[in-house]
Amino acid sequence: MTDKITDPVALWQKMVGEMEKGFNSFATKAMETPEFSQAMNRAGGAAAGAQKQFGDLMEKYLLSMNLPSREQMTGIAERLQSIEGQLGEIKMMLSQMSTNSAGSPIGAAPRPPRTKRPPSEGGGPK
Amino acid sequence: MNAPGGLDFAAIPDRIQAEVQRAIMRSIKGVEYFATSGPTLGSTPKDVLHSRGTMSLYHYRPMSDEIYRVPVLIVMATTNRGYILDLVPGQSFIEFLLRRGYDVYMLDWSAPRPEERSLRMEDYVLDFIPDCVRRVQADSGEQDVSIIGYCFGGVLSLLYGSIFPDGPMKNLICFTTPIDFREMKLFSNFSDRRYFDVDRLVDSVGNVPPEMILSSFEMLRPASRTVSQIQLWENIWNDEFVKSYRMFDRWATDTLPLAGEYFRTITKDLMWDNKLYNDTMSVGGRPAKLENIKVPILHAVAEHDHIVPYDAAKHLIAKIGSADKEEVVLKGGHVSLVAGANAVKRLWPKLDSWLGKRST
Repeated sequence: MTDKITDPVALWQKMVGEMEKGFNSFATKAMETPEFSQAMNRAGGAAAGAQKQFGDLMEKYLLSMNLPSREQMTGIAERLQSIEGQLGEIKMMLSQMSTNSAGSPIGAAPRPPRTKRPPSEGGGPK
Repeated sequence: MNAPGGLDFAAIPDRIQAEVQRAIMRSIKGVEYFATSGPTLGSTPKDVLHSRGTMSLYHYRPMSDEIYRVPVLIVMATTNRGYILDLVPGQSFIEFLLRRGYDVYMLDWSAPRPEERSLRMEDYVLDFIPDCVRRVQADSGEQDVSIIGYCFGGVLSLLYGSIFPDGPMKNLICFTTPIDFREMKLFSNFSDRRYFDVDRLVDSVGNVPPEMILSSFEMLRPASRTVSQIQLWENIWNDEFVKSYRMFDRWATDTLPLAGEYFRTITKDLMWDNKLYNDTMSVGGRPAKLENIKVPILHAVAEHDHIVPYDAAKHLIAKIGSADKEEVVLKGGHVSLVAGANAVKRLWPKLDSWLGKRST
């Protein structure tokens, strides 16, 4: 078997591992400084501002193209969400009614009994 | 025959042959990699018990002839998808629990929609979790429910447990749950109140985009993504390595956006004012002190967690009011603690032995 010290593949892998650790450690030190936070948040703030301006512009463009605005789509989404919620409630009620009348929900397999005990029963709190 | 420097000349031809074979396999498997979509994740059979906007409640179909009396509700972190706990058969925490006789439910999250930007911490702690607990009670027919919270799902579970100390939560298990946010040093610096204008961000973008969440995670170890890609190329001949890489890579990059108002509260109350640690946290005007929690609690933390360092998690057990409480520190990182080959040997059996005797 090839000695790890002289195995070029093992050496390469070790070097990559060390580089990763070294770079991560160096970057962590740099990112812990207030200067980094300031620079990062300045750039992030500018990006968020640009995103908002772009969004506003798109809204105007969609309006001019006689397409639904974001506001209108959001309204439709809210209504859909409400319908989904009500459907869920109806499904739950049907399932409950089925349980009450037939003993188990529609299409559901019978549940196993809740009688399991831990393997080392006899000790430990309950 | 070894040369004085330790070089084994006799082994060189074999080594070259092996490397040539691997190079050929890399080319073949490399094509396969791009032509296939990777393993199917989260395939343990389940039913959607309830779904409302960003929230989904799943019930996993039992895999055992007999189950424990107390059902288990898993509360997933709001930044990531729940299938990390249900990767593939044999490496699925959910499957493990089912085979060990637990009745498992999961509160999982999907990307909040634009109109859900106004979801607040109150919605998560005082509405979503109690709603799911009620549904678990109705579905299982049991009053008691054990809760398992992963990462920020643990924070939400702690807030829920501290506001509703009289039940129905019977046991609480937290995985890698931070409570001292000062100790999440990089996140703390990224959100330094002198430079980070959270109001401007939320007012501008609504929901915080997933790219921003992903970038902040990746910045914790900026070289690791590049190195993992190098490692993928080196090991692309190895099907098991590639399968594992694809599972974890897909999950890690499948980050969720965060609802704007919720993110605002996390930043101000937790990152800036460290209210959970300082016992000044409240949700919807209701005090949420950790000392209120009196149920049995297990906190599992990872020795090499770069996202939630041990210092950020270590005070949890001391601050909890329970008499029956335990912290377990295991080898691994933030994700490998709960998923993957090592979790199968370390965390899962520990959890089973702790929870089983408290689930009857």
